[in-house]
Amino acid sequence: MSDVVLETKDLVKHFPITRGIVFQKKIGAVRAVDGVTLQLHRGETLGVVGESGCGKSTLAKLLVGLEKPTSGSIVVRGTDIARLKGNEMRRARRHIQMVLQDPYTSLNPRMTVGDIIGEPYEIHPEVAPRGERRRRVQELLDLVGLNPDHINRYPHQFSGGQRQRIGIARALALRPEIIVCDEPVSALDVSIQAQVMNLLENLQNELGLSYIFIAHDLSVVRHISDRVAVMYLGKVVEIGDDAQIYEKPTHPYTQALLSAVPVPDPTLRGQRDEIVLEGDVPSPANPPSGCRFRTRCWKAQEICAEKEPLLVERERSAHPSACHFAEVRDVVHAVE
Amino acid sequence: MSSSQMEPVATSVAVPAPTVEEVERPGVATGKPRSLFSDAMHDLRHNPIFWVALVLSLLVIVMAAFPSLFTPNNPADCQLNRQHAGPNGWAIFGYNFQGCDIFARSVYGARISVEVGFLSIAVLGTIALLIGVTGGYFGGWADAVLSRITEIVLGVPYLLAGIVLAKRLSAGQSSGIWTVVFVIGVLSWTTACRVVRSSVITAKNQDYVAAARMLGAGHARIMLRHILPNALAPFVVVLTIALGTAISTEATLTFLGIGIKPSGDGSTISWGLDISGAVPHVRESATPLIVPSVFLSVTVLSFIMLGDAIRDAFDPKLR
Amino acid sequence: MTTDIKTEIDFLPETDSSAALLEVRDLHVEFRTRDGVAHAVNGARFRLQSGQTLAILGESGCGKSVTAQAIMGILDTPPGFVTKGEVLYRGVDLLKLSEDERRRVRANKIAMIFQDALSALNPVFTVGFQLGEVFRKHLGMSRADAKKRAIELLDMVRIPAAAQRVNNYPHQFSGGMRQRVMIAMALALDPEVLIADEPTTALDVTVQAQIMKLLAELQAERNMGLILITHDMGVVADVADWISVMYAGRVVEEAPVHDIYARPAHPYTKALLESIPRLDLKGQQLNVIKGLPPNLTAIPSGCAFHPRCRYARDACRVDPPPPLYETGSGTTAACHFWKEVRGGE
Repeated sequence: MSDVVLETKDLVKHFPITRGIVFQKKIGAVRAVDGVTLQLHRGETLGVVGESGCGKSTLAKLLVGLEKPTSGSIVVRGTDIARLKGNEMRRARRHIQMVLQDPYTSLNPRMTVGDIIGEPYEIHPEVAPRGERRRRVQELLDLVGLNPDHINRYPHQFSGGQRQRIGIARALALRPEIIVCDEPVSALDVSIQAQVMNLLENLQNELGLSYIFIAHDLSVVRHISDRVAVMYLGKVVEIGDDAQIYEKPTHPYTQALLSAVPVPDPTLRGQRDEIVLEGDVPSPANPPSGCRFRTRCWKAQEICAEKEPLLVERERSAHPSACHFAEVRDVVHAVE
Repeated sequence: MSSSQMEPVATSVAVPAPTVEEVERPGVATGKPRSLFSDAMHDLRHNPIFWVALVLSLLVIVMAAFPSLFTPNNPADCQLNRQHAGPNGWAIFGYNFQGCDIFARSVYGARISVEVGFLSIAVLGTIALLIGVTGGYFGGWADAVLSRITEIVLGVPYLLAGIVLAKRLSAGQSSGIWTVVFVIGVLSWTTACRVVRSSVITAKNQDYVAAARMLGAGHARIMLRHILPNALAPFVVVLTIALGTAISTEATLTFLGIGIKPSGDGSTISWGLDISGAVPHVRESATPLIVPSVFLSVTVLSFIMLGDAIRDAFDPKLR
Repeated sequence: MTTDIKTEIDFLPETDSSAALLEVRDLHVEFRTRDGVAHAVNGARFRLQSGQTLAILGESGCGKSVTAQAIMGILDTPPGFVTKGEVLYRGVDLLKLSEDERRRVRANKIAMIFQDALSALNPVFTVGFQLGEVFRKHLGMSRADAKKRAIELLDMVRIPAAAQRVNNYPHQFSGGMRQRVMIAMALALDPEVLIADEPTTALDVTVQAQIMKLLAELQAERNMGLILITHDMGVVADVADWISVMYAGRVVEEAPVHDIYARPAHPYTKALLESIPRLDLKGQQLNVIKGLPPNLTAIPSGCAFHPRCRYARDACRVDPPPPLYETGSGTTAACHFWKEVRGGE
């Protein structure tokens, strides 16, 4: 399995809820990520989907070291990067980088584009000698489809799509193997989204990158991902390749999620299997016992409250699914 | 639908070079990049209050640095036989109780006020910056402790504390401006500190700071490169306003007799001293009281208005 | 007693029952800014009948929200000015009414809901109070009666435990629930037209499905006209009867929903459809629309879309902007070469 470039094992992140001004007492915890085990293979794109509160953004931050996990491991190149500190941590960051969501706030407005893309070289001087840096920055600008002559411009002089490209160029500066994309196209106009998505795909082919692609737009995720993991309240509830997840989903939440996504095809109106969930998502500070989805699930039985279903392959599910009653149901296409 | 794209996408990585329209943004199309800064400068340029305040402030500063440009007379040249005399040549406001040229004294008095003003804000600015950045950036218990300290100092009655402190520090010493500077600096840093702290916290939560941390940047780099440049603007505005307030405070303390103390030879010239000296004789002539008061008020006002105008121009919410 | 008061407020004497419920003709809106005049809307037109859902489709900057604001009369003036056009509610031009009259129309006949419910609701008053305000103000109801109506409204938008939740504050509701409250407020006085400006963009997809379903049910119950403003082509395919596509302040294509998706006649519509990934397909090549939406202070000459259009010829740049050509019965497209676009590849 040397094919695996990133592996997380039982990754957990709890945010303590405290009370008190000077002395803070812990009265509970928001269980943002509650035991996530994933593997990323070389050259593949693993999509992570879920709605607000599912923990995918926290997962992204854990992977790039912006948050320290409460427990669990993140293994990249044989080392658990969650345990690293100081200089070792800094060096490890060269292998895994992130593209952020909002192109309007992810670039320092007072730095030129050249400084922004060149900052990685200043932080990691061993990667590129001084003299070479400017040339490398220009190469990166060209790589993402921007004019290298604009190296001295400021972010506000670029459009949203171009700023996102700058963010991608910055992520590529250290030549990482893994890039975590946290909602990279959500803040862009529809017609620009395709440009950035195509860029990401081309870069992956050209540079042999592996992506973890986090988004809430399931159509976008399907387009770019090889495999997809569905998250709910801090846990992965189903994982499989794109055909399995989209055409043969077995977990009720995945099915509800997919059935809610509108398809731009009016001939499907009223033809699809419609699942409308009742109620709201439970609080991540107080998730239901056993299966977390049971409070909104139409299949829930007693066993769902008692025993938490593990993410494993099952009798009626060829791919891992965390449901005692996992079963295929097509919600994307028209039902006969 | 066969792929009838205009641009080749398959083979090379290069997405086609952007067409000209892609690069230009609204504002750039007209040639001028419209950042918040240039928008603000534009607003300022059209604000008459800004210009008035700027001119007056500069005038005061020049007056402090080169008083001889404004009057050839010697302010220390006091002759009792000229007591309360009327205007005469350059002494356009006449003479005070001791026979000193009122106008010359007011012109030369600017120096102490301006000196005290700038030194005070240097002291209070440094304290505010250190405490504000540390608390804002590191958060946690450091911020909790520093915030409580800030609140305690904020809760201390300003003038009362100033008086007590000044009395203790200046016991037995001659007029030094350092006592006053110290008192003002040590009591006035709280507002600036809170402004710094909140700007730092806002900047700290920006995505680009997260991006820098993700690249492996250390605290020093983040503070100097990312946080301070974006947090300094409101701080500078508060300092400008504090300058006006410091000058006013110095005058108050001096008037109460615990600020600048007159040296024996009359070479210490300060508006506060002139005002306090003119009060007992106001029945005979009000001019020695009015002139330095006006100088003082105009100076304080102009710095405060300057700071206000700049702050309003830079406040994106008022757009 | 309630109906009597309502008729007093129902003041529009010359409504034409044969006219369309809502019709917008040749609307022009400009924004006078420091950077120049931004032509936000350049001759928009729509028609809405009772019970119909009209979707106004377009990306940011195309003028759809500004049009909605102009219809409602809530445009920020200055810097926005309606320079031309008519907004006809049953034949009565709303733009010619006084502010007072327009305000009454706003509450009673045409209502609007926005994208962000949290900023549309006042955080310091309970939801019941805000809902009740509509009744107290416009119908002169007592507090108790207004509260009863408020509870009925919350029930209507399917908020569970309405009698208790009526005393909650906006922040105590989830995003989807708040959106329902906003819908309740909008429908309080039984309007005939509901304008929904990106009502579900900020919501999770499962919540979006709930809200859209609710809107569809409420519309059917009241035979209301619904104008849905959005950029989401999936949502539009699910609910719209008729679509108007906007670009750079103009309507560039109008057609029933099936026609738009199956046989688009405008290059922009076509390009949009080709650039969005679909849930039920994999491995399609996403065709890219090169370039950017235009700067509204400097709209390209001729056809505003020509710099980005793959069918563009000289005529597109040189000739005046294409009018809306008739492409079928009632369907139109603003492209000189619409036949080619629809028929060809």
